[in-house]
Amino acid sequence: MRYLLLIILCLSLILVAGCIIKFTPEIEEDNTLLVVEGMITDQNMTNKIRISHALPVGKVITPVPVKGCRVTITDRHGSIYNLKESSPGIYITDSTRFRGQVNNRYRLNIVDGGKSYESYTMEMKPVPPIDSIYYEKVLIGEDEFGVPIEECQVYLDTKDPFGKCLYYRWDFSETWEFILPYSVPNYRCWKSAYSGKIIIKNTSVYNQSRVDRFPIQYISNETERLKVKYSMLVNQYSLNEDEYAYWERVKSVSENVGGLYDVTPMSITGNVYRLDDPDVPVLGYFSVSAVARERIFIDDNFIGLPNYYSYCPGDTIRYPGPIPNLNISAWLIVDNSNGQPPYRVITYFRECADCTLRGTNVKPPYWDE
Amino acid sequence: MKVRTLILIFFFISSPFAGSQEEYIISPDYQGLSFEEFVTRIEAYHPVRFFFNEEWIKGLKLPQFDRNIHLTDLLDTLLTGTSLYYYLDEAWNVVLTKDFAVRITGKPEPEERKYIPGDDYTGIVEEAGTAGNLVMNIGNQADRNKPGNAIISGYISNLNTREPVAGATVVIRELSVGTISNEFGFYTLAVPRGSYTVRVSFLGMKERLIDVNLYGSGEMNIEMKSTLIPLKETVVTAEKNVILRRFEVGVEKINIVSFRLLPTSMGEADIIKSILLIPGVQSVGEGSSGFNVRGGTSDQNLILLYGAPVYNPSHFFGFFSSVNSDIIREVTLYKGGIPSRYGGRISSVLDISPRDGNRREFAGNAGISPVTTHVVIEGPIKEDTCFYLLSARTTYSNWILGLMENKALRNSRASFYDINGRIAYDINRKNKIDFSGYFSNDGFRFNSDTIYRYHNNIFAFKWRHFFSSRFFSGVNLNNSYYDYRISSDKTPGEAFMLSHRINSTELKADINWYQGSRNEFNFGINLTRYEVLPGSFRPAGDSSMVKPDIIQKQRALESALYFEDKFIVTDHLSANAGLRFSTYFAFGPQSFYIYNDAYPKSSSSVTDTLHFGRSENYRTYAAPEFRLSLNYRLNDNSSFKLNYNRTKQYLHLLSNTTSISPSDTWKLSDYYLKPQVGDQFAIGYYRMLNRKKIEASAEIYYKMIDNLVDFKGGTKLVMNKYIERDLINVEGRAYGVELLFKKQEGRFRWSIGYTYSRILTRTTSNLREERINSGKWFPANFDKPHDLVLTFNYLYSRRFSLSANYTYSSGRPITYPVAAYKVGNIVLTYFSERNKYRIPYYSRLDLSMKISGNLKSKKIAHPHWIFSLYNVLGRQNIYSEYFKYEKNKVQGYMLSVFGRPIPSVSFNFDF
Repeated sequence: MRYLLLIILCLSLILVAGCIIKFTPEIEEDNTLLVVEGMITDQNMTNKIRISHALPVGKVITPVPVKGCRVTITDRHGSIYNLKESSPGIYITDSTRFRGQVNNRYRLNIVDGGKSYESYTMEMKPVPPIDSIYYEKVLIGEDEFGVPIEECQVYLDTKDPFGKCLYYRWDFSETWEFILPYSVPNYRCWKSAYSGKIIIKNTSVYNQSRVDRFPIQYISNETERLKVKYSMLVNQYSLNEDEYAYWERVKSVSENVGGLYDVTPMSITGNVYRLDDPDVPVLGYFSVSAVARERIFIDDNFIGLPNYYSYCPGDTIRYPGPIPNLNISAWLIVDNSNGQPPYRVITYFRECADCTLRGTNVKPPYWDE
Repeated sequence: MKVRTLILIFFFISSPFAGSQEEYIISPDYQGLSFEEFVTRIEAYHPVRFFFNEEWIKGLKLPQFDRNIHLTDLLDTLLTGTSLYYYLDEAWNVVLTKDFAVRITGKPEPEERKYIPGDDYTGIVEEAGTAGNLVMNIGNQADRNKPGNAIISGYISNLNTREPVAGATVVIRELSVGTISNEFGFYTLAVPRGSYTVRVSFLGMKERLIDVNLYGSGEMNIEMKSTLIPLKETVVTAEKNVILRRFEVGVEKINIVSFRLLPTSMGEADIIKSILLIPGVQSVGEGSSGFNVRGGTSDQNLILLYGAPVYNPSHFFGFFSSVNSDIIREVTLYKGGIPSRYGGRISSVLDISPRDGNRREFAGNAGISPVTTHVVIEGPIKEDTCFYLLSARTTYSNWILGLMENKALRNSRASFYDINGRIAYDINRKNKIDFSGYFSNDGFRFNSDTIYRYHNNIFAFKWRHFFSSRFFSGVNLNNSYYDYRISSDKTPGEAFMLSHRINSTELKADINWYQGSRNEFNFGINLTRYEVLPGSFRPAGDSSMVKPDIIQKQRALESALYFEDKFIVTDHLSANAGLRFSTYFAFGPQSFYIYNDAYPKSSSSVTDTLHFGRSENYRTYAAPEFRLSLNYRLNDNSSFKLNYNRTKQYLHLLSNTTSISPSDTWKLSDYYLKPQVGDQFAIGYYRMLNRKKIEASAEIYYKMIDNLVDFKGGTKLVMNKYIERDLINVEGRAYGVELLFKKQEGRFRWSIGYTYSRILTRTTSNLREERINSGKWFPANFDKPHDLVLTFNYLYSRRFSLSANYTYSSGRPITYPVAAYKVGNIVLTYFSERNKYRIPYYSRLDLSMKISGNLKSKKIAHPHWIFSLYNVLGRQNIYSEYFKYEKNKVQGYMLSVFGRPIPSVSFNFDF
């Protein structure tokens, strides 16, 4: 349904009419809602449960941690594991003592002062490995000189020959290398980001648990992701039916907006509830998933990428000596991009002179040359 | 001075059929005979005896008449204008007298009963009578002094096309009584004997004034001439007295002529856009399909075309109504006071009366606008017996999309077409049949590979049988089919076709009986068979791995018996009382889970499974629906009305979006989903102001609705096998005041309508999962308390008119996100209570101008141009507000659909 937004835009364009305006709503509510979210996996790793309070809309989201809770996980056999608070509001398992097992069932219990919370009992479903992740160049058009412009679509294939995993969720972290086109000390850096979208798939409607050419990520040329080298680490999670239903609802309410047929918004609460008063909403979800991982590198030449640094050069410096007050609001860079003898320019943007402002100059361990 | 040219009037006058005497029929074989010869022949065939002096009748010849007429009519016609009178006794002795009429002694003629001297009727009357009107004698002159009321009845038809004129006003000024012709053009009035001026008027037709000498009950058929261009200055449109006489509260009729005058958004007259100007009718916003009547949801409107329900009322995302206005004669909207012949929806009935087509000659019209084109042709197939009307409309918006800069838009497609066809066949005077068909098709595709298509198809057959002019029956057999298909072949392995359809076949049999002068009975039966395919999800193409999945079909039979009587209790009080008894049977094959009542319905609370075999009735709902309207006429200028009606609805549209979306599905009541029940009380006060030039009305209503449906958050409605687990039962209450002032005559016409209305709903369950806003009352999505509609029409000349309308309404309620939180790296929001906030108010002014070409009737085609400007103020009316997570915070956006003035022009011509 989100495409209906397009048609609205389209009609608007026909008629040179409709439009979208930004605004900040005036909300007179004061909610301190508890958010419990976290995941236990079958991996040999520390599992985290985060407990916090939700924040009013319109502010930058930095959760307010809830400290000093007693957090335990109980499995199908009644074994209880205690989690310890590693940093405010973050409760972790000890990887040497606890590791999720496929087909086991887990329940989360939280005691926060006098209030007790509990999750439903969730089953861990097995997950198959990711078959393959691959990309294709997408020709999106031509620039004014007839040069084609390319972007990139990343696909994922997976299948569970045993048909045990019917519901999938994916998320990924992406890292890309970027290089400042100037002679500066910190010119080569890496930047990372996490997917923020709900990516789920229900294969119970097919006669096999099989996902082909699933468009997991589209990389546009608006950022430098395609310029040098790009990498993506995809996590594939198995979901039980309840968790799939949760994500599907959340997705439906949060993504089908901005068109003619917006879904009536409704708050969706997860699988955690307060024991003495189930009417008090508890947000978030206690996930129990097996995980499979796969990394892909994209080291290719995409045509028609824009110049991301055209705004950098401020003024050419003819004076060869040091310049006083530099490095406070202006920086000196050496431009050798034209192949001509390099010349010195002044820039007023620090990110043009130092890549660590946007990324890190520490090469990730998995980054092969 | 107005010059009334009354050209060509066809009428015939008959003697009483309500009286005791038999009548003798004279066939046209007698025409032109001398009176003497006629008498000789008629005395030979019938037990009639004539007494007269041979001197008197010399040269008297029978007039020309082309069909059977009654003897008394013949005599009336023959003798008027001569100095002869006749007296008829009960033994059929006809006594002619000269220079005086026989008066029965002991029964003096009341003084006020003065008759206009009769006028010779020769077929064409230019100017005659005292007021320059045609003079007609009705009934047997000999009955002139009988006591009691006489009844005038007859058919009103369009002279040019011979179509019946429904909704014409027949008023006797002297008595301040009037009535409206019914759908067959039939009218009836019961008044004391005497001489009166009968005024017959109808929007877009020349007003007729006929002087009547009413001696006894009789038939008066009237032909009206349509004005070539409906804006003619002399047209008097107001159904002035009618509003006072009509029984129901909350009934609105819109004539095609009046909605053609309205400004349009895309250069096209549109039914739904027109009815949105009626107080009490609202929509969620611009470009939303459907409409809301007095707090009802949009699936609670019964939209009838050719007597069959239309399941999707719009084309092209709600910007066009799915029924082409070219085929419409008029539409009637029942907001309340729903007559008992209608049922199955609880909020309103929108009855679209199609045109019969021109009965006299080939005609048509065509038009183009920037987005659509349409054409109609009509005419007789066989003179006077068989007629057709065909219309087609399509859009060509694709070429516009193809011009778009944006690739996504350039690759999008949206189109629709609709075709209407109708053949009417008059077998004889007593039997008329017609066949109608309607096909509409919509398709759209966005930049994606997902293609949406939907179809509305209707077939209808209607047979009307006239036992007498006061006793008719109608039989309507119709089939209405709606389906949609959503398909995608983007990934061959996942290519699918998702479809939904509803198919209903209905038989209606209906009797109308005008009994005496006080009662009009209407009774009949409706039988409807429904079949709904909730959803089917199938692979498309050989390489698709999609597992075919079909949700069990639903089958049901709805039957209803109804009876209603419109009766005149006293001169001041009239009533319409009706009862509809509807019974609904849901049939197998069907399976259901039984759940433990103490828990929310879910897979874990299942306790049992029920299976029902083929044709096994697994659920029956039956209940009476009472309908009552009272009309108390306080005086000539004002009346007071009272109305109660109960309605039931067995068919529900499942929608969890703010307005109807093309992927919403219909569902029949079943084991869990109970029928919706609506109860409405309404009071209305009507008054004519300023010498009956201005019509004012105030209506108050209160409505209760049971078994509305809402859904748990984020529920998937399509292909949901256990939808009962996601349904939330809701009850509603709606109330409001509607004020309307209008002046609908003269060159300058206007109306002001203001509505204050509320619609509140609440969940009824005790379970937390099945409650919204903790079970408190909250406003529905389309709750817009204040609503003001102003319309103006200035008819400068027959060729030029201007119109404007202005709409203001409160913003609709909306739910805001109030808190944000993260699950993993995904940011989610927590929402306020449902519909706690409101979007900004809505305000829009539209203008349009209509210019007609030369009106000379000899021209082959009559062109007219309509220029319109939609949203002149350019206000960015907000359609919706939504929120997206961006740059570490949740940002709000407001979307407006038409944020600037939109000009459009359309060109139409009649031929």
